[in-house]
Amino acid sequence: MKPKNAAFWRERFPLREVKNHLKKPLPKHINWLFSLGGMAFFLLMLQAVTGAFLAFYYSPSPDHAYDSVTYISQEVSFGGFVRGLHHWGASAMVIVVFLHLLRVVIYGSYKAPREVTWMVGVFLLLVMLGFGFTGYLLPWDQRAYWATVVGVKIVGTVPFVGDFVGKILRGGEGVGAVTLTRFYALHTIWLPWLAFGLVGVHLFFVRYYGSSGLPQNTPEEMQAGKPFYPDQLFEDALAIWVLFILLAAVARFVPVPLEGRADPTDASYAPRPEWYFLFLFQLLKYFAGPLEVIGTFVIPTLALLLLLFLPFLDQRKRAPLRKRPIALTLTSLSVLLIVLLTILGGRSPKLETSSEKAATADFDTLNPAEQAEQSKTPTQEETPAETGVFDFDLKENH
Amino acid sequence: MFDYVSGNRFEMTDAPEENGEQPKRRRFLKACMAVIGGFISMAIGVPLIGFAISPALKKASQKWVDVGIADLLKGSRYKKVNYTFQAKEGWIQIHQKRSIYVTDEGNGNFVVFSRVCTHLGCLVRWDEKKQQFLCPCHGGVFDPAGNVVAGPPPRPLEKLPVKVEDGVLYVKEA
Repeated sequence: MKPKNAAFWRERFPLREVKNHLKKPLPKHINWLFSLGGMAFFLLMLQAVTGAFLAFYYSPSPDHAYDSVTYISQEVSFGGFVRGLHHWGASAMVIVVFLHLLRVVIYGSYKAPREVTWMVGVFLLLVMLGFGFTGYLLPWDQRAYWATVVGVKIVGTVPFVGDFVGKILRGGEGVGAVTLTRFYALHTIWLPWLAFGLVGVHLFFVRYYGSSGLPQNTPEEMQAGKPFYPDQLFEDALAIWVLFILLAAVARFVPVPLEGRADPTDASYAPRPEWYFLFLFQLLKYFAGPLEVIGTFVIPTLALLLLLFLPFLDQRKRAPLRKRPIALTLTSLSVLLIVLLTILGGRSPKLETSSEKAATADFDTLNPAEQAEQSKTPTQEETPAETGVFDFDLKENH
Repeated sequence: MFDYVSGNRFEMTDAPEENGEQPKRRRFLKACMAVIGGFISMAIGVPLIGFAISPALKKASQKWVDVGIADLLKGSRYKKVNYTFQAKEGWIQIHQKRSIYVTDEGNGNFVVFSRVCTHLGCLVRWDEKKQQFLCPCHGGVFDPAGNVVAGPPPRPLEKLPVKVEDGVLYVKEA
């Protein structure tokens, strides 16, 4: 066989054409805020890789989930770090995506012709929240269990179909084994495929219409900036580098919280969602009785529709934010409201009844064999409120 | 483009349409593809949807569950009682754990409240001093009769059907 020349290989691997594609000049005046999308993409890859590795040890069954997560954290080499990256990476993703969205709103980048890019982005936001919601059931600890009980009940308040959809989500009446395998499948198969597909479409449109640049750019300036590769990509890489160092430090030094094993009868647990759902948690408190559905369904749905159709509700030409007082006011108010609700939700006091302070005696009808089995599990000792329990087998005297 | 059989370069051109027969034929081909695609989608889609939602279609059966000896709960006021019973959850047999508040009204009459908050399902707790059920999540408050006093719950606490047979207290469990 004759050795092949360079032209042969160029024809087989047309990298030069890809490279030319990447060298397209961006608009002038692009700042680091334009790296937020790239940072979100990096975090998605990081979540995919760390998640794929966590799946080597994780077992999606109520009998084993908690122990397998403990095993990952305590016995697997670098287990704490890998789980830390995945856990804190999710929080970082929420922050980065939120900032990315704000950047797009502030620069009016969602406007024509980029409406579909924006809408795909809103769907990606939903997918991300879906990742968060399905992901934190998986450790099967108290927070996981109760957040899911409440979260699915929220779905259940949707008029007409809510109850049925809730049952489909749980795979039955209660949160249990069927729920866990469902959430695992959603978290590790359905949502990743959906996310990659949507990211593909999102990026296609970003490339097709080009970067939106700053609103004050003239049409000439829109074509006159530095090339995407290597200039812009270098800045993205720098931003990703800083993000990664921060994240790795947090993953290394801040242990991922793992509460007691999920217990549907617990005595003193005060369920709280993950911090990025606290605004919703707080919102629910304000709507009583028949108005409940306003907090659980009406406001979130309206907010989502508003976000999704923003480019069609605001069809005026792009302009710097200072020339858009209404947009500026509404955006600031929304951000303030979300931050305020999150803070209020985070600071809401945990319930402690007077009887708990006095440690009441509870009856418990577990038979002795079951009690012995239960006491082997570490959580029974961990929950302090259970220590004062007067375990008593009522059937024993039968 | 490159022809991998002959090794020659060639340009892509539209397929020839010499006579009026071709567009009709191609319309027919497209229709065939739509039919095949539609049929396969339905043949797979319907069973898959049924597969996914089947647990939601099962009717929940209510049954009486043995909580314990009634005598031992004599005189109890808003006594928290945990109990377990055998249940099938998907493919596994589990000890389902539940928690209720039992009050003895005298003459062997018991009132049993479910602890499940009617708002979003957190477990309420009885506060002896305030004489109220308090929900730890969104601030629901119920009076001793289970009626909503404050907070978001839309309905009173659920009273579980209760009976005493042969000295054993049973509640009806969803």
